[in-house]
Amino acid sequence: MRFLLTTALFATALALPLLAALTRPTAAAPAGAPAAAPPATAPASAAPASGGGLAFPFPVKDKTLANGLRVYVVAYDSPGLVAYYSVVRTGSRNEVEPGKSGFAHFFEHMMFHGTEKYSLDAYNAAIKEMGADSNAFTSDDLTVYHILAGKAALPKIVEIESDRFQHLHYQEADFQKEARAVLGEYNKNASNPLEKMTEVLYDHAFTTHTYKHTTMGFLKDIENMPNEMAYSRQFFDRYYRPDNIVILVVGDADPDTVFKLVETNCGDWKAGDKHPAIPVEPPQKKEQRAELGWPGATLPMLVEGYHTPAFSTTNVDLPTLDVLAELLFAERAPLYKKLVITEQKVEAISGSNDAHVDPNLFTVLARIKKPADLAYVERAIHDEMAKVAKDGIDDKTLREVLSHVKYAFAGQLSTADKTAYTASSFLALTGDLASINSYFALYDKVTSADVKRVAAAYFQPTNRTVVTLKAGK
Amino acid sequence: MLLSSVLLAAAATSSRAVAAPAKPPTKVAGIRTVILPSPGSPLCAIRLFFQVGAVDDPKGKEGLAALTAEMIGHGGSKPRSYAELLDALYPLAGELRVYSDKESVVFEGTVHRDNLARFADLLADQILSPRFAAEDFSRNKDDALDFITKTLRGNADEELGKQAMATVLYRGHPYGTPTQGTVAGLGAITLDDVQKFYATHYARDRLTVGVAGGIPDGFAEAFAKRFAALPAKAPPLPKLPAPPAYKENQLLVVQKDARANAISIGHSLDLTRKDADFYPLTVARSYLGEHRTFNGVLMTHLRGNRGLNYGDYAYIENFIQDGWTTFPLPNIPRRQQHFEIWLRPVPPQNSLFALRAALYETDKLIRDGIPEAGFAATKTFLANYANLWAQDVSRRLGYAIDAAVTGKDVVKELRARLPKMKKADVDRAVRKHLTLGGLSIAIVADKAQALADKLASDAPTPITYDTAGTPPDVVAEDKIIERFPIPLSKDAVHVVPVEQMFEHAP
Repeated sequence: MRFLLTTALFATALALPLLAALTRPTAAAPAGAPAAAPPATAPASAAPASGGGLAFPFPVKDKTLANGLRVYVVAYDSPGLVAYYSVVRTGSRNEVEPGKSGFAHFFEHMMFHGTEKYSLDAYNAAIKEMGADSNAFTSDDLTVYHILAGKAALPKIVEIESDRFQHLHYQEADFQKEARAVLGEYNKNASNPLEKMTEVLYDHAFTTHTYKHTTMGFLKDIENMPNEMAYSRQFFDRYYRPDNIVILVVGDADPDTVFKLVETNCGDWKAGDKHPAIPVEPPQKKEQRAELGWPGATLPMLVEGYHTPAFSTTNVDLPTLDVLAELLFAERAPLYKKLVITEQKVEAISGSNDAHVDPNLFTVLARIKKPADLAYVERAIHDEMAKVAKDGIDDKTLREVLSHVKYAFAGQLSTADKTAYTASSFLALTGDLASINSYFALYDKVTSADVKRVAAAYFQPTNRTVVTLKAGK
Repeated sequence: MLLSSVLLAAAATSSRAVAAPAKPPTKVAGIRTVILPSPGSPLCAIRLFFQVGAVDDPKGKEGLAALTAEMIGHGGSKPRSYAELLDALYPLAGELRVYSDKESVVFEGTVHRDNLARFADLLADQILSPRFAAEDFSRNKDDALDFITKTLRGNADEELGKQAMATVLYRGHPYGTPTQGTVAGLGAITLDDVQKFYATHYARDRLTVGVAGGIPDGFAEAFAKRFAALPAKAPPLPKLPAPPAYKENQLLVVQKDARANAISIGHSLDLTRKDADFYPLTVARSYLGEHRTFNGVLMTHLRGNRGLNYGDYAYIENFIQDGWTTFPLPNIPRRQQHFEIWLRPVPPQNSLFALRAALYETDKLIRDGIPEAGFAATKTFLANYANLWAQDVSRRLGYAIDAAVTGKDVVKELRARLPKMKKADVDRAVRKHLTLGGLSIAIVADKAQALADKLASDAPTPITYDTAGTPPDVVAEDKIIERFPIPLSKDAVHVVPVEQMFEHAP
């Protein structure tokens, strides 16, 4: 399961899972290399969840205030350091009103514009004084604000974070300038064709649900953002409420101290009202397709999306889809070897099952060397999917995939910050940190028969959306 | 102020986990070896650092060092084909990463300690007995060519702007072409060239072995010893020419379809981490534009006050972001460095204003010096922030290797020097090393010729706001910025269609 595909960006929309998928770290693209590595003194218990071990092995304490604000403190051996994450369980999924796509992400930017007590400059000065690594990101289902700093800064962190979450205060002039910084973010992404492909994929795959638009939003809505000051107040009032937020502290922190600090600073914060309902996506009846041109040099590309169920800790179809992503598209996969190594028609190929609160997509991405091979590659992908649905897989391969998934997850918990980052997506999905271990326990139930059944059920042409892109207008 | 002193104390106590000083590097079988054991860690990291890179590329074969590195890391070995390597790595969840730059090639991997021995065997085979198969050569060469001709030219304007700026700043210098090579250079490289390059350059005197994490006793030494099988000596690292000393500003506008204009600005520097002035200049750099933070002057004034773009930063070393983190990739040391300003894409109607605004702010720093308050805040910031640079065992190892290779542990140096540093030290270093004369400026633009003509004409380039409520002091400053001089002579302006970029070494 791909939870969050990239680590925290600077006030950045992360609605583009496909963008992260092809950043193979090579000399050709050294900036794309994710750093997965351990802390100096992580507990030995952070072993992969094999032989009954837990995927998330750290001691956890939690407390829920009367207003619904939940606080988790995870003991992680990072002496002197704490990662402080505020997880708002709202993202672009909640952009239900027409013309408001991209608003959750824009609002994330506005959260840095100060309060009457801490102006924008005073907030930034406090962060600078801590020497903190501080940032925020937004995705379909969440908005996360995070600070990594020395443990002595914890009281100040709780104070300034609680203050802005309750008393955000900005002027229209600042609001308008920040709207143009968001347009700047769209502009910086615009030279990457995957941005456009992702936008078109979700727009075609969804008719009704808000997953139809990316977290960045439609350009026309971004351009109109300076005019939405009144709506921004409504957005804050609606979603920035204690019962919609989880605070997660990972590292060298005493749970009781954290609970007390949060209670002192957030105890009077009022719970919110019910959120507007998210429209339900009806089943897709036939294959959707779009062909795009690109006004410059590019390799041809293919993306596909297959509708999948909502995240759950009880539905074995979800870990089975994760296993299928590995079986079909990992570097060990026969398809990868055929297309990338033997035939060399494809430069890179990947597949991912993206965890979401509501039903979303299993996505496939291929970067192909010649336009003439687009159709061939698409057919090869579909043939391989059909083959798994027909023949299933042997137990040895399944065990290898499970070993890989578990070791890879252990690798993601290599620092306090990365652990908090990984955990934040589960908090957005369920509100419950225990869902990590519940979900990983489901992997042990995946059988070869499940692999066969799930491939047959979801990789249907009628369930598919295909977007291709080639150089040319 | 109370807060900062508490935080500094906290940072000092946290150094055990986040930035423990490296043991002095040792020699194992004549090979420099850096060992950082963390017995409690479930994960282990290996970095094999070769002081080999694009500076070793023969003329006309630009890209040979990087392609050789790819053939070693992403090709087969004598015991197994590349497909078999992928099969072997998969259950370990071990990825073998390859990073190439001008004077460095790094093979890196982090695995669970359960899988360390197997991963180390695979890695050693890749380095010691590469297969150099024809099918691996065609695949890796295609990847490099596609990176130049498709990704850089058509899919990544910000990277294009940075690389374009380097072609000007380092014209006629080995740093002046993309590490991946040029179209002509890659076209000329044969598999035989790769094999010969490996045989001559992958030698013990260019290698540093780094091992860290939950490693068993004796593992690191035994692992390092395996590389005694490499030849003792490579040719000496080539001498670097001086970068061109431009008397006038140079402008390169790259013509391509673009919604907004990516901008990179730079000039060469005569200092590296080895020099005392590097550290006060680090404070100035951070004050002007710390990478991906809100607190730099460029960020505050261009994005914050004016909404010009998404971000604006300054550097005094070649900077490659490590994945999706905020921090620099370690192990890309260069013997020569440069000052760089990166402006993320600006809408065309405001891009020349943004360029002028960035130079206006830099000029203010050079002329007026760093303000006392900004100096104090930046010192405090860096003293704490530097402790976050090496949080995990692979990055810690990377920093320890950099310290061994360059002779300076940058975190340790900052920690020692910041408390004693004075504002006057920063101002003096800024005046000595930063200049607005002889800049190399690259802009990626759709209407490239018109943009170049406009800048060369010296006409004002006012900002166009489509937002209300800009404060009067900002509007007043806009009037100064729109006329900020960027002298350009006709000969120093070049407009190049993107299709012609990176064809040959300039």
